[in-house]
Amino acid sequence: MAQIPVQTIHRDPQLFYWILFPITAVMILTGILRHYATILMATAPKKLDKKTMREQRSLLHGISVRGSFHVLSKKSFATRRDALTTAYESGAYLKDPERRGQAPPNPMSDPSSMEGMMGMMKNQMAMIIPNTLIMSWINAFFSGYVIMKLPFPLTIKFKSMLQAGVATKDMDPRWMSSISWYFLCFFGLQSVFNFLLGNDNAASQMAQQMNQMGPPGGAQMFGPGVDPDKQFLAEAENLAVIEHYSVLDGVEQRLLDSIVV
Amino acid sequence: MVPSLLHPPSQLSPAAALQLSQQAPAVLQSSPSTVSASPLSALFRTSETPDLWAKYENLLLSCLRTGDEVAARQCLERLVARFGDDNERVMAFKGLLKEADAQHNGDLDRVLKEYDQILKDNNTNIPITKRRIALLRSMGRVPEAASALVQLLQFSPTDAEAWSELADVYFSQGLYPQAVYALEEALILAPNAWNIHAHLGEMQYMAATATGAAGGSYNKYMAEALKRFTRSIEICDDYLRGYYGLKLVTSRVLKDAVKPTKQADEDEFTLPDTTTVEQLNELATAKLSEIVRHYTAQDLGWRGYDELEVAAARELLSKDGSAIER
Repeated sequence: MAQIPVQTIHRDPQLFYWILFPITAVMILTGILRHYATILMATAPKKLDKKTMREQRSLLHGISVRGSFHVLSKKSFATRRDALTTAYESGAYLKDPERRGQAPPNPMSDPSSMEGMMGMMKNQMAMIIPNTLIMSWINAFFSGYVIMKLPFPLTIKFKSMLQAGVATKDMDPRWMSSISWYFLCFFGLQSVFNFLLGNDNAASQMAQQMNQMGPPGGAQMFGPGVDPDKQFLAEAENLAVIEHYSVLDGVEQRLLDSIVV
Repeated sequence: MVPSLLHPPSQLSPAAALQLSQQAPAVLQSSPSTVSASPLSALFRTSETPDLWAKYENLLLSCLRTGDEVAARQCLERLVARFGDDNERVMAFKGLLKEADAQHNGDLDRVLKEYDQILKDNNTNIPITKRRIALLRSMGRVPEAASALVQLLQFSPTDAEAWSELADVYFSQGLYPQAVYALEEALILAPNAWNIHAHLGEMQYMAATATGAAGGSYNKYMAEALKRFTRSIEICDDYLRGYYGLKLVTSRVLKDAVKPTKQADEDEFTLPDTTTVEQLNELATAKLSEIVRHYTAQDLGWRGYDELEVAAARELLSKDGSAIER
């Protein structure tokens, strides 16, 4: 089997100064710019009015009663359960009791939920626009030739990724073009941004993608389109099925067994 | 324990608070007076940390306590410079400083009116609501403070701080069942807080021993107090107040020779049998004397107790000892 000869391509050393370095610098600068743009565009969290706060916290109250009912005696738990289920079922904690039983408003038409969507859109835009611009810039100026050789061997599958824009069949996949360098920067600058901007920066794409995967639990719980009345009824049911026990039952014996002076 | 500026100074002894507030000039000098949010300066200077602002807040409180209002004002100025005049927390601190400056009741009334005005504009400003309640209470208008607390808890029932304050207000008025209810709510929000368990035990002990407690409720309160103290020790096995309370309750139960009557109401706690109570009493006595002994010898790992609490435990033990001798 014939040994494939080592390919050598003579490259101008100036390629490093005029292509690799500018692409990296531009990527870092856009990241920083995006970070500050996101901070500037962020709207302050909307203030809750008293009724909404009462609605949300009453539900949380019920949940914490359900979660730690065992610290109470049976009697005090029963008092609380009766009070909470009555209030939940009668809708006493609802923000606007008249609207009970109606379908929740369309999240698209509700101005308060529109704001959240706008925020998401803004973040998306801050991601997409600079990336498109940089990519087209690189494509327009630096496409069609390789700029560097990676110091490690790669399999043939990497060819399409690393040599995007260079259509030569036999070239070693270790040679990479400028657009590949862009992708490497795109995914690899996370630690640089962490160093420059702190840990919770808005410059990194990874963090934003993570956010899109799973929004935080609190937002879902009271988010638009969730009917608080249904939540209250479900919570009342949860409270009703609790079989009470108390952590104080037999605590003396437990203590005497566990503590030796 | 060395007092640290990173913890709220509400529990500190006067000496420790003084020590903290004497650090004020050094702290104020060592950190820059304004923190710029611009990216350029962030590259060259150390960036701000949440610790810094916690330090300023705690320093402010310590300074107010020791009467160093100049330093307190400086802390406040830095907080205002960073968070702005309309931040809810900062507003509460500003009100606190005004309360401290007040010379007579008229001044306090004026501060109270300002709070009312702020609350009229924004009725969910919880720090200011709490300041207003504290001010009402310190001006002696306790019923008003209680009703304001109840209103606050109506729209924010997940606030453990407010529940325990309400418990304390009711307790100071001698309304034991209400106080117990409020403290149970705080316990729901912090189910493993041994200090709240023990505090609840103290309240129930006082409710049981208060004059006018009928036979049935005496048994009920005593049984639950005993269990609460036991639980607090179970969670934190060198908690002095827990042992102290346990000893107090068990001695009382043994002295009164309460019969663990079979109660009609199965829902309530009943006292354990006499042997168990005796064992618990012995345990508490042994552990208390261990704590007192080690604390007096200043052994390593036993120095964290409060001096007054240890003194009280010593007194309880000596009273008990003389009773046995007689």
